[in-house]
Amino acid sequence: MNLAVLRLVLVRIATAILTLAFVSAAVFAGTEILPGDVAEAVLGQNATPEAIEGLRQALHLDAPAYVRYFLWLGALLSGDPGRSLVNNLPVAGLIASRLPNSLMLAGVTAVVSVPIALTLGILSAIWRGSLFDRVASFLTMSVVAVPEFLIATLCVIIFAVHLHWFPALSYADGIVSLHQFFRVFALPVFTLSCMLIAQMMRMTRAAVIDTLRSSYIEMAVLKGAQPMRVALIHALPNAIGPIANAVALSLSFLLGGVVIVEIIFNYPGLARVLVDAVSVRDMPLVQACVMIFCATYLFLVMLADIAGVLSNPRLRH
Amino acid sequence: MSVDQTITAVEAQAPPRHRVRLPLAGMIGAAIVAFWVVVAIIGPYIAPHDVGALVDDGFGPLRWGQPLGSDYLGRDVLSRILVGARYSIGVAAAATFLAILMGGTLGMLAAVSRGLVDMMLSRFFDGLISIPSKMSALIVVAALGSSIPVLIVTIAVIFTPGAFRIWRALAVNVNALDFVEVARARGEGTGYLIREEILPNIAGPVLTDFGLRFVFAVLLLSSLSFLGLGVQPPNADWGSLVRENMNGLAEAAAAVIVPALAIAILTIGVNLLIDNLPGRGSSAGEH
Amino acid sequence: MNSDSRMPLIGSRDKLCLAKMLRGSATRRDVINMLMAAGMSAAAAGTIASFAETAHAQTPRGGGKIRVVGGLSSAVETLDPAKGYIAVDWCRGRMFYSGLTVLDETLTPQLALAEEVASSERATVWNIKLRRDVRFHDGSPLTSADVVYSLRRPRNPALGSGIRIFAEQMEEITASGPHEVRIRLSGPNVDLPVILAAAGVVGFLIVKDGTTDFRTANGTGPYKCAEFRPGVRSIAVRNTEYFKEGRPYLDEIEMFGIADELARVNALLSGEVHLISGITPRSTQQIASVPNLALFETKGGGYHPLVLRLDREPGSNRDFVLAVKHLLNREQIRRAVYRNFAVIANDQPIDPTSPFYDPGLPQRPFDLDKARFHLQRSGFANQTFPMVVSPAATNSEEIAQLVQQTGGQIGLKFNLQRVPGDGYWTSHWMKHPIFFGNVLPKASPDIIFTQIFQSQAVWNQSGFRNERFDKLLLQARAEADTSKRREMYGEMQRLVHEDSGECIPVFASTLDAHVSKLKGLRPIPVGPMMGYNYAENVWLDQ
Repeated sequence: MNLAVLRLVLVRIATAILTLAFVSAAVFAGTEILPGDVAEAVLGQNATPEAIEGLRQALHLDAPAYVRYFLWLGALLSGDPGRSLVNNLPVAGLIASRLPNSLMLAGVTAVVSVPIALTLGILSAIWRGSLFDRVASFLTMSVVAVPEFLIATLCVIIFAVHLHWFPALSYADGIVSLHQFFRVFALPVFTLSCMLIAQMMRMTRAAVIDTLRSSYIEMAVLKGAQPMRVALIHALPNAIGPIANAVALSLSFLLGGVVIVEIIFNYPGLARVLVDAVSVRDMPLVQACVMIFCATYLFLVMLADIAGVLSNPRLRH
Repeated sequence: MSVDQTITAVEAQAPPRHRVRLPLAGMIGAAIVAFWVVVAIIGPYIAPHDVGALVDDGFGPLRWGQPLGSDYLGRDVLSRILVGARYSIGVAAAATFLAILMGGTLGMLAAVSRGLVDMMLSRFFDGLISIPSKMSALIVVAALGSSIPVLIVTIAVIFTPGAFRIWRALAVNVNALDFVEVARARGEGTGYLIREEILPNIAGPVLTDFGLRFVFAVLLLSSLSFLGLGVQPPNADWGSLVRENMNGLAEAAAAVIVPALAIAILTIGVNLLIDNLPGRGSSAGEH
Repeated sequence: MNSDSRMPLIGSRDKLCLAKMLRGSATRRDVINMLMAAGMSAAAAGTIASFAETAHAQTPRGGGKIRVVGGLSSAVETLDPAKGYIAVDWCRGRMFYSGLTVLDETLTPQLALAEEVASSERATVWNIKLRRDVRFHDGSPLTSADVVYSLRRPRNPALGSGIRIFAEQMEEITASGPHEVRIRLSGPNVDLPVILAAAGVVGFLIVKDGTTDFRTANGTGPYKCAEFRPGVRSIAVRNTEYFKEGRPYLDEIEMFGIADELARVNALLSGEVHLISGITPRSTQQIASVPNLALFETKGGGYHPLVLRLDREPGSNRDFVLAVKHLLNREQIRRAVYRNFAVIANDQPIDPTSPFYDPGLPQRPFDLDKARFHLQRSGFANQTFPMVVSPAATNSEEIAQLVQQTGGQIGLKFNLQRVPGDGYWTSHWMKHPIFFGNVLPKASPDIIFTQIFQSQAVWNQSGFRNERFDKLLLQARAEADTSKRREMYGEMQRLVHEDSGECIPVFASTLDAHVSKLKGLRPIPVGPMMGYNYAENVWLDQ
């Protein structure tokens, strides 16, 4: 560790708290601006004015907005994210049962897609303009252009309905063997990888090509080093910053942005909770999810920046 | 957040080799883009059927009159794709331009200003990324109603934080270079620095960002249409055509696959063209 | 106490008779005749006779485990039977709890936890005797205190229960003995047994006295709750002490919801689940083509109306309303949107499965000339009107597009305006001059007329006001004579058909699908999956 990194971490932690406060206030304002509140959303077509009024009072929705916000914030700071306004179960419990699943899916997808994307990206950069480069670009761009619900559904129809290789629904719990683990995660991870690989790959390719063109690399080439060696030993370390950034952003997407995959494979993750909670205006639940996603995002971006600082001599001091 | 993964994808996009002429790949890309732009313009006039007219009982077979079969209600798929082109292409392109205009300007401003302005803007956009996009879209519909301009602005706003990050990152690199310091020492203003020093030197990589972001805009359209924003029935963008005919995958695959193919071909065309633009990165030679 | 009406309405004597006929050599025609003699419409009698036949064909087997998928999933699902708001909630309610009464295939209330339901004072005071052999899952016996608590509970506004308006009709609920409950209504209502069975969706289900914690369920239902994680799944295991002899049949039911229809269908096709709900007509062909799968259609009174507000332009113009009603190409809508899984409707909400359906009301035809004539007379020809559609109002986009097409033929233009499904019921429904609704099947004419057509009804979508109608509604409630009630409801159907702003093209069937070896499903026209009551009825033929 060095001072630059230490300072970056401290500044980021301080600003992260401010950012979280800003986001929670914005999200709260959002739930206020959105037409309809939890009382109306829950009662739906059954909403009579008096039923709504009764429920509002019971949920203290009749208190002024800022009072409710600070009550929620106060409780959160003392460690209690509150209860769902709809089914009255503790938010902490609802989240705790889903968060590990989300982390697991994100983790497995990262382990699979990051090496593939990086390898493709680096090879494309080394052999830029070659057939390999063009084919890799063509394939990844075609895949990223297909709507994810189509990829997921096609996967299920082919591999679950017709071939019976994998289950159509992915249960995260009750996994005992590696074989089972593979079966459960194969399809969702494949779908998500299709969405992510293109960006990480293009990013890596671009970053490596960029550094390959700098003067010290040209020196190495002139001295007669192998192209592969030049790329891996000399160019790659200097491209780590931007690559780490792309990877971090992709991973943060894996937590909150995978609603469609969670729905189609019935995977019990957090992204669906957020969407459900927004639909019924369940403020404590919305806030809890958003805080987790935001904190993860800030954490990952910070890690990426640290990687950038450590790998770049100009920024290190 | 789905739209922000591309943010740094091109942060360090390499300036490609100098080229005088469009290479073959670039010409193919240009031809594809030109083809779709023409379709977008004349689509409604060459469509064999009315977009809303029922031609048979739904998920009908491919026939001479309906070369791509019919959709879930029994409407001609080909006509719907032809008419949908202007929504997918026009809205996505406009929204992407707008996002880059807003995000780019602020990104360069943050880079040139440095210090507190930079930090405030950066954290603000970090925060903005964390607000669920479904919530923002619903707020927009509720507050502004639904129309094509509102749809364009919404997509642009959703993409702005991403554009901001890229432009800022690129501009920060250039900002540290000697010729900018020289200009600053001369006493040039922020506007001048952005316009004359930063912008010409990051134009190349930013184009690639446009290409990726454009794809995501095309895909995002269908989710927003589903929320009631923008394209109104009986018209539909390509993503929505895929979505509404998903039940027909077994019976009438063309109704799903062809609109999806249209998106893919457009995507590849746009990116081929951008990757091979002549003079691309020529200004970056000043690095 | 003078009893003037006793439960069940089609008496147990008739049921006994039906059972005997089925065991003996009675033909289908005999059964239909008997049921029609008992006052049921021919269509309904036909349906029940065929159920009886199939039900008779096989003896249920015990054991087995199934997985069931509902049409929606939410992180805020609940085990509180007074609060459920999506199908999986209602199904779980019926699995873990029981009501005092329950509806059968003819929408006739049958006794469940109640041993006897008797009314007096022209159906204003009701006395309910409870079975004495019922135990909650925790072992405690069912008493009148539990019933009083459960019936009173939805009245609390803080609960936010959808059946609060029905609970409020029960002015006074008292325990008149350890196993007897007395209910005094605010006005006469012979339909109380129906309300108890199906108000809202699942009616009044009985929870243990004083229950406030619904992390798990302690009821008297056919299954016990072994696991409940909202939005993930629930696991129900057989309640060996269930009060209905020999039931339930299955050992275990795992239930969850999947919001994406195609994902549900694929899960069924891949053999991972046994019963799925919420099939759209578009998927029926795919399911029908697989040999070991079966579709399960429930005809009923659910419908998706195009609503014209009568208190706003252009709906305030009677000719305009008539023009639109004649503009509905019901055959085309039935074919293109519902793939024929629907019954042509006649702009009134009582469907042919109801014993009170009036077949004598002439069908309004699709008639462009008449539509043009009324449009000209209304003075709105060649104008454009916004029509609000939403994913929340089932099939609204599809129907609207068809109406838009036919309207174009007579110079009536509609401008479709799609609004978000999220918040539709609070922000858009009933707030535009032309919009769509979504009416779930209702258990009785009284319920639907009270909720949607009475002048004061909160959900009077079209703003229909008719004094005669309101008067008939109250009279019918107090009328114990079924044939007189049928006459009144017939007149009310005509009034709605003529003057309401609800254009009702078809009655939509609800569609489920299941593996063929899952047996015992019989349509109960209040909703899919046997009116959400499949759990105690189905069994596996292994």
